[in-house]
Amino acid sequence: MASSKELRERGTPFKIKLITTRSPPPNPNLRRDMPVFKTPFNGYSVKFSPFYESQLAVATSQNFGILGNGRLHVLQLNPTITEITSFDTADGVYDLCWSESHDSLLIAAVADGSLKIYDLSLPPTSNPIRSLHEHAREAHGVDFNTVRKDSFLSASWDDTVKLWTVDRPTSVRTFKEHAYCVYSAAWNPRHADVFASASGDCTVRIWDVREPGSTMILPAHEFEILSCDWNKYDDCIIATASVDKSIKVWDVRNYRVPVAVLNGHGYAVRKVKFSPHRMSAIASCSYDMTVCLWDYMVEDALIGRYDHHTEFAVGVDMSVLVEGLLASTGWDELVYVWQHGMDPRAP
Amino acid sequence: MQLTSAEEGWRSTIAMATQSDAPPNSIHGKPLNPGSQVTEPTVDDGQNAKAETKKESSPTSVFVNSEPIREEQVQNAVKFLSHPNVRGSPVIYRRSFLERKGLTKEEIDEAFRRVPDQTPAATTTQPVATSQDGQIKAPSNIQQQAPIQTLQPAPAGSISKIGRFSCFHWSHALLAVGFLAVSGAGTAVFFKKSVIPRLKSWIRKVVLEEEGLQKKYKVKPSLAEEAAAAAKAAAAAAADVAQTSQEMLISKTEEKRRFEELISMINVQLREMKLMSNAIDKLEGRTHGRIPMEEQDDHRVSWTGLRQPYANGKVDADSRSVRSSSPSASVEPSVAPHPKSYMEIMAMIQRGEKPSNIREINDAPPNPNQPVPLPRLAPRPKPWDVGQVQSTLTNVIQSQESSNGVSHESKDNQLNGDDVVPWWQRKNVRITEIDTGDEQKFGSSNVVSNARPVQRSWVPPQPPPVAMPEAAAAIRQPKKSLLQKDQLTDEQSLARSADVNDELQRITKLSESGGAVEVNGGSSGLNSSEIQKEENNSHLEM
Repeated sequence: MASSKELRERGTPFKIKLITTRSPPPNPNLRRDMPVFKTPFNGYSVKFSPFYESQLAVATSQNFGILGNGRLHVLQLNPTITEITSFDTADGVYDLCWSESHDSLLIAAVADGSLKIYDLSLPPTSNPIRSLHEHAREAHGVDFNTVRKDSFLSASWDDTVKLWTVDRPTSVRTFKEHAYCVYSAAWNPRHADVFASASGDCTVRIWDVREPGSTMILPAHEFEILSCDWNKYDDCIIATASVDKSIKVWDVRNYRVPVAVLNGHGYAVRKVKFSPHRMSAIASCSYDMTVCLWDYMVEDALIGRYDHHTEFAVGVDMSVLVEGLLASTGWDELVYVWQHGMDPRAP
Repeated sequence: MQLTSAEEGWRSTIAMATQSDAPPNSIHGKPLNPGSQVTEPTVDDGQNAKAETKKESSPTSVFVNSEPIREEQVQNAVKFLSHPNVRGSPVIYRRSFLERKGLTKEEIDEAFRRVPDQTPAATTTQPVATSQDGQIKAPSNIQQQAPIQTLQPAPAGSISKIGRFSCFHWSHALLAVGFLAVSGAGTAVFFKKSVIPRLKSWIRKVVLEEEGLQKKYKVKPSLAEEAAAAAKAAAAAAADVAQTSQEMLISKTEEKRRFEELISMINVQLREMKLMSNAIDKLEGRTHGRIPMEEQDDHRVSWTGLRQPYANGKVDADSRSVRSSSPSASVEPSVAPHPKSYMEIMAMIQRGEKPSNIREINDAPPNPNQPVPLPRLAPRPKPWDVGQVQSTLTNVIQSQESSNGVSHESKDNQLNGDDVVPWWQRKNVRITEIDTGDEQKFGSSNVVSNARPVQRSWVPPQPPPVAMPEAAAAIRQPKKSLLQKDQLTDEQSLARSADVNDELQRITKLSESGGAVEVNGGSSGLNSSEIQKEENNSHLEM
């Protein structure tokens, strides 16, 4: 049976729906063009810049994030993936987000519970410009508001979500209702005050920052929920990814029954991201080392599967500025950037 | 955290309740305010903002639970919360359990309000049985209720039968009635006293009570003068006692089962607490080592589960084959095989060793009062904010950012020549075999074209791209046409980039205040910064 690798060598189009056998790990030194970047530490999160098409940042942690330092890389894609700058942290960096209001600001969620703000227009010796330390445990997720572009959220293993602005040294609000670690928080793309949080207590909570408590509780999975994201084109649709290997898509107007259940990952789904360009397309990465692309409105939902990573695929992002551009990173210390439909490992 | 036996108990309590939470939701979820909810996604941001300023109780916000309180769910929750084992757990875990069962905040609050306070009462006979419902001192109280309640009516029943027998003997009727009253009161007092030993070992008491009851019924009539009536009464009482002891046995087995359930529940909780304390120990004692909890199988997998050899991961390659439409066979998540070095590091941490490659890094901000820089670039519009109007105006923003951007020191699209498309924007033309409906979007050689073909998931379809930029300019307001004239000349675009930036910012502000007139007449989420987006595309197409 022809493996996907053999087909690539023959020059036929990259067959996405093949049953993929594990190819030998790619050797970055052998390729002419290098759509891959090797980080010294294990990758945790990757995000495209909302201002520059060819810029992205990667959050990495030493020793798989168990114990050790961290590093934040800022990369550019032209002509090949190269590093512009990087910042070292005392503890691992679990997540990052770009500011939507300032093209040179980055926010990192650090495993010691702090959030660090970096300014790329300043030299590395002047960075970070802020360290916001309020969380009692690891900060696991950050997300910047894309509507009002003035505030960001941090999700932490101390069961809380905190709201911040760049100019304030302390948090604006703390949202404490979850009974376990909050892994991810995501702003609604159309409503400036609404966000969702995904937690290890197996619920997703929808919040309105003007309300004292959560406004909705979705008991979305029977197991821990690691990630959630809103549909950019339908602000009432939200996707949740869980340890139970499934991704569920919910409509908050009728949240008792999911709109779709996406099965196909072999292990826990670590991150889920709605496409900024296609209404029903979802990208996900999982501990089964694959990055998958789904269309939840279609009967056969899996429309793409990329198995380029050789360890847990932990971070995935879809570019807002370049349609179809995907990036992923994993514990194999590699960052891949590729166009949907192409093979990440080939030029 | 999981409370599996509590869940089973939960399921049994709702077994009789009507099913399907969906109907009440579907009935109430939409009609409350169909107008605003249906049109919400298409309504512009301005109107949405107004809708959102209303309070939570207002039905116009979509992100609020508009279901009414479901009574059966509240009752199930009350039963759950009244469970003595549950009472011992922290409130947050009780709430979390109910939330996972799908109860809304209002229902949970109502259930908490309804659960009665626990106050032990000191009364006789029936009140004794009912007050023991409320007592929480000993978990065996639940098992006490049924046998006590079944025993209480037993002597009353036997006494009434004795009474019936005595009616047949006219001469001794009065004596029999008097004896009955005395014996009834006496058995009641006697039973109350026997409650206390039952509290200690109730299983053995079942056997003892049978004998004791029979003795009682034989002793009491012997106090009376009619030996014949007493013998008949004793026989009737024995029959009754046999019957009730049978019932007791049934209830006993039932109680045993529930007791075992409770024990397993307690064990589950114990296990969880052990895991928690293990985690706390590790966190406190072992230099802040972290254990990612999400990789554990809902906390039931012990720490040894993490030590799976990496070889398992390789062998399982075929298990990761594409299962595009079939649901996963089992929902129980298996722990993903961790990399070998991960295991080594975890083992090291648990032994108390620190990995050697960790450096001391000072990542504190050198100047915590460093002023936040002013934004140099206007925020770029999001594709989901942009409407469907397309044009092929030249791109100014692209060149602007190339001159401004820190990262674009080297080649850039603009400077390289227009036919060099960066590899990460290049699309693979050859892909046609896969789902063509989807791939048309990505497979064209033209990069990032907003003139998308009609997609089944993209509603409404896009109008074709405008061929004449001037025509598009003419449609727009005069202010913008000034802007567009600037943009049409490439050579001047770089020079005027600064001016254009100001222009755009001004226009952005104007449009945000609602001044923009769009061709499509679509959502007012469009602002003139959409021109930037279109310029992107048009530049690249060139």
